[in-house]
Amino acid sequence: MSASGTSGETRVTFSLAGFWRGMKASGPLGVSVFAYGIAFGLFAKSAEMSMAEALLMSGLVYSGSAQMAAVSAMGNGVIPSGAAAFAVVTTILLLNARYLLYGASLRGWLCQVSGLQAYATLAVLGDGNWALSMKRHAEGEQDAGFVLGSGVIMFVPWLFGTAFGLLTAGVAANPTALGLDFMLVAFSTALAVGMFKGRTQMPVLLAAIAASTIADRLLPPGWAVMSAGLTGGLTAWLLCKPEEQP
Amino acid sequence: MSVRPDFWLFLLVLAAGSIACRFGGFWMMRFVRIGPRLDAALKATPIAVMVGIAAPAALHGGWPEWLALAAVIIAMKVIRNDLVSAVAGVALLAILRAL
Repeated sequence: MSASGTSGETRVTFSLAGFWRGMKASGPLGVSVFAYGIAFGLFAKSAEMSMAEALLMSGLVYSGSAQMAAVSAMGNGVIPSGAAAFAVVTTILLLNARYLLYGASLRGWLCQVSGLQAYATLAVLGDGNWALSMKRHAEGEQDAGFVLGSGVIMFVPWLFGTAFGLLTAGVAANPTALGLDFMLVAFSTALAVGMFKGRTQMPVLLAAIAASTIADRLLPPGWAVMSAGLTGGLTAWLLCKPEEQP
Repeated sequence: MSVRPDFWLFLLVLAAGSIACRFGGFWMMRFVRIGPRLDAALKATPIAVMVGIAAPAALHGGWPEWLALAAVIIAMKVIRNDLVSAVAGVALLAILRAL
């Protein structure tokens, strides 16, 4: 792997110790993903999907919002084809466009490990463990195993939750009553507070809040996060002082 | 445990879309030189995304969600542990919703 555009001043490792560290750090997120998986399993059952179909979708698509959109298009057990399928894929691309940003921001870290390790890590990446990993990386975490471990501890409960929801349709507890739908929001807020470095970051924060609020009002679901990331990044790009250039 | 034949095609198209987004950003950056401005932009992206996840939820929520978010921020300022703070906020929300 050619390491383009990286400083190379710090040694990046990919170890079992880092993997465990990531798993332990994002354990509570795994619990909330399990609950979300149950919600998807219940929804899949209502669309008359089989266990194999639901598990394949959870494993290969691995995106709660995108899967919900896909299953909504499969009402009455009819599988979309042609224009209807194209519409679903467009929705999924829009809902998952934020992963382009996540991948881009991980380039400097993950390009220093093997391609297999990097792409396996990206395959099980989720919002929560990406955010957690970026914060820990800013604080000095160099082990890329951390990203994989914190992703696996969310990916596996997603599969188990899907199966559990499908099997227990009609008897499972409502995850919303337990506040688990709020876990990613609460966690993102905590990470943002922890990452906040002071007044110089205010323009980025305000731009992100404005962009996500506007996108939430005017654009289809899934755009708010992408808009906030792009606008925040653009703000930082514009505010970057030229004299800092080498 | 059966998979309908036409489900396979639908699934593969969906998976391709999802995986293209997961791998695409990382792969494309291969061809981009990360200068100071782009570096600043990429470093600012995480906190912008976090705020972008939280802001719409605050907008859609009511008093229980706002109090829970305030609890997360205060807990984070006091104990400086992201996961404990998040779990505390979720627990408070569950209690407020049960009232």
